[in-house]
Amino acid sequence: MGGRASGPPPLPEAAGRIWHTLGAAFVILVFVPPLLLLVSGSLTEPGLPPSPTPQLVPDPVSTDGYRRAVEIGGLLRASLNSVLVAVVAVPLSVLVASLAGFALARVAPRTTATVVAASLVALMVPATALLVPRFAIFRALGLTDTLVPLIAPALLGTSPLYVLVYYLAFRALPRDLYDACLVEDLSPMRTWWRVALPLVRPVTAALTALTFVLTWSNFLDPLIYVYDRDLFTLPLALRSLSVLDPTNFPVFLAGAVLATAPALLVFVLAQRRFLHHDDPTGRDRP
Amino acid sequence: MRPKALFALLLTAVLLATGCGAGSSGDAKGPVQLLVFGAPEELAAYRTLTEAYEKARPGAEVQLVEASDRKDLLARLATAVAGGAPPDLFLMNYRFYGQFAAKNVVESLDERIAASDRIDPADYYPVAMDAFKWGGRQLCLPQNVSSLAVYYNRTLFAKYGVAEPKTGWTWNDMVGTAIAMTRDSRGVVVKGTESEGAAVRPVVHGLGVEPSIIRLAPLVWSNGAEIVDDLDKPTRLTLDTPAARDALKNLVDLRQAYGVVPTDEEVEAEDDESRFANGRLAMLMSSRRSTTTFRSIIDFEWDVAPLPVYQKQVGVLHSDAYCMTRGGKRKDAAWRFLEFAISEEGQRIIAATGRTVPSHIGVSESAAFLGPSQPPRSARVFLDAIPTVRALPTVSTWPEIEDVTYGILENAMHRGDRLDDVIRDLDQQTRPLFARGEHG
Repeated sequence: MGGRASGPPPLPEAAGRIWHTLGAAFVILVFVPPLLLLVSGSLTEPGLPPSPTPQLVPDPVSTDGYRRAVEIGGLLRASLNSVLVAVVAVPLSVLVASLAGFALARVAPRTTATVVAASLVALMVPATALLVPRFAIFRALGLTDTLVPLIAPALLGTSPLYVLVYYLAFRALPRDLYDACLVEDLSPMRTWWRVALPLVRPVTAALTALTFVLTWSNFLDPLIYVYDRDLFTLPLALRSLSVLDPTNFPVFLAGAVLATAPALLVFVLAQRRFLHHDDPTGRDRP
Repeated sequence: MRPKALFALLLTAVLLATGCGAGSSGDAKGPVQLLVFGAPEELAAYRTLTEAYEKARPGAEVQLVEASDRKDLLARLATAVAGGAPPDLFLMNYRFYGQFAAKNVVESLDERIAASDRIDPADYYPVAMDAFKWGGRQLCLPQNVSSLAVYYNRTLFAKYGVAEPKTGWTWNDMVGTAIAMTRDSRGVVVKGTESEGAAVRPVVHGLGVEPSIIRLAPLVWSNGAEIVDDLDKPTRLTLDTPAARDALKNLVDLRQAYGVVPTDEEVEAEDDESRFANGRLAMLMSSRRSTTTFRSIIDFEWDVAPLPVYQKQVGVLHSDAYCMTRGGKRKDAAWRFLEFAISEEGQRIIAATGRTVPSHIGVSESAAFLGPSQPPRSARVFLDAIPTVRALPTVSTWPEIEDVTYGILENAMHRGDRLDDVIRDLDQQTRPLFARGEHG
C-alpha cells in the first residue's frame, strides 16, 4: 500500500483539484437551494396565506412551525421510534450483509454463482408484489402493529444489493491476503473481522449511510404494519403533516427539516470517519 | 438443516394466515379497529369520538388506525384485507367503496339496522343512504353529506362593485361575474387569455375550478343531460350528447375563451385554495372541505353561494360512510361503535371540525353545523343543495375512470385540445374500464 509513494506529477494534480472543486460546486448548486428554501419555509409563520413566491428570509421569522409540528405530528414519539429502529436495524444489516458478502467471496465459485443469480432475481422482484405475503407472515407470527417488521429486513442485509456490493469488495482483496490468513491459522470469522472488514471501510461507510437512509425513510412498511399511533415512525408522522391545509405548510416543512437533519448528520459523519480515511496521509505528503 | 427449518416456518405461517382468514363467528377479544384518513385536526376529532365512546361505554375499546390520505388508506385496507386481517371498520367515500363492495369485503348492515333501537334510517339524508346501497342492501352508513358550492371573496366583490352571486344565478351570470372580477394590478378588467403573450397578466382571477369529471357532472346534469348511458349499469360516458357537450365546452371556455381561470402553470405554482386564501381568486368552486382552510383567513370576508344553474338546480353528492368488513373479528362491538358514531352525539363531535356536513338531518340543522360564530355566513347553502344533489355511479372501477378522465379534461381546459377529440378520447379510454367494472 506504501508502494504508491511516487505519486502523479504536480500540474495534473492541481488541474484535478480544480475539476474536483468545480464538481463539488455544481453539486452544491443543485442540492443546496432546495434545502435552503426548506429551512426558510420552515421558519415562516404558520396560519398565514402561503406566499406565491418563495422568500429566502421569511418575514417575520417564526419557530412556531417547529413547535406545532412536534405537537400535532407527534414528532418526538415518532423520532424516538425511528431512532430505535435505525439503531437496531442499521448495524445489524451492515453486519449481516458483510458476513454474507464475505462468505460469498470465500465459498466454492459454483455456490457463489448460484447465490449471486438468486440475489439478482430477488432484486428484480418488485417490493409491492411481496407486500401481501409478507403481511400474512408477520400477521401469523403476531408481529403486526409492532416495530419488528420494520427491523426484520436487516436480518437479510436489507437488500440483496448490499450483500453483492460486499461480495465484490471482498473479492477484490488480493488472494495472497486470504492465503496468509490461512497460514496464520486465523478462523474465517477472525479473518473477516480482523483483516477483511478493516480493508473495506469505505464500503462499510457507504453501505451504513445507504442502509440508514433506506431505514430512516422507509414509509411503506410502517404504513402497512403499524396501526398504533404511538408506534408511528417519522415518515408516517411527516406524512400526516403533509395533508395540512396550505396555510400550514411551514409546519410540514419544519417537520421535514427535523426528519432530514439526522440523515445529513449520518452522511457527514460517514464521510469524516470513513471515506476520508487515507486522505490525511495523502495531503501530508510534500 | 436451517434453510429447511426456515422454509417450514414460512410455510406454516402462510397456511396459518390463509386458514385464519376464512370467516368467524362471535367476537374476538381486543379493541375494535377503525381505519380513517384525514388531516391532523380531523384525526383529532376522531380521537375525541373514540374517547367519548369509550367513556360512554366503560370496557369498550376502539383503536383508531390513522392514514393521512385516501391513497394511504387504500394501501392499508387492501393489504390488510388480502392478508386476512382487515380492520373492523373503515371510513370510505361512495365513489371509492365500489371496488370493496364488488369483492364482497363489506358486510351488509340491513339486519343490524332493523334490529337497532338507536338508528332510524329516516334520521339521515336519503341521498347519502342510497349512495351506499349495493345490490339493494345497505352496506355502509353515511357520516357526512356535502355538495359543491361557490366560495367567493366578499371584500373583493365590494371593492370592484360587482354584484355578489346569489341563489338561482345562471351559468352565464357566473361567466359574466368571473370576467368582471378578472383584474390586473391596477384593478382594471383584463382578459386572462392574453396572459400567454406579452400583455398584462391578471393579478386577480375570476374563478377557480378543477377540470375533473366530478366537477363537470353537476353542470351536465343541470343542462338536462347525463354523464353515463345507464344509471345503474353504466357502460360508457355520454358526453357526446348536445347538452353534455355544451356544458363541457362552457367549462373549457372558462380558460380557453375567457381566461377567467388561472393557467395550468399558475395552478402548479399556487393551487386554487391558496390563491383564494391569498385574495387573488374571486370565486372558487369547491366542496365543504375548503371551509376549514378558509376559516384562517383574516384579511377579507368570504361566503358561499350555490352552484350556477343551466336548466335546473343540481348538485353532486360527496359523502363518506362507515363500512364494516366481512372478515372483521369483532362485528358486534364494531356495530355498537358505529351506532354511536353516526348517532346525534357522534356526529356533533365530527361536525365541530367544520370540514363536513353531518348526514344526520337533526345535527345538520342544529347550531353544531349552522352556528353563526364561524364563517361562512350562508352555511345553509350546503343544506339547501342536499335535496338537489345526485350521486355519481358507484361502479367498482370508478376511481380509475376519475384518474383517466382528469388527464384528458386537464388537457382540454389548459392545452385547448379539440372538443371532438376530447369527447372521443374520454369515451374510448373509459369504455374498457366500465366493461371491467362491477355494479351494485
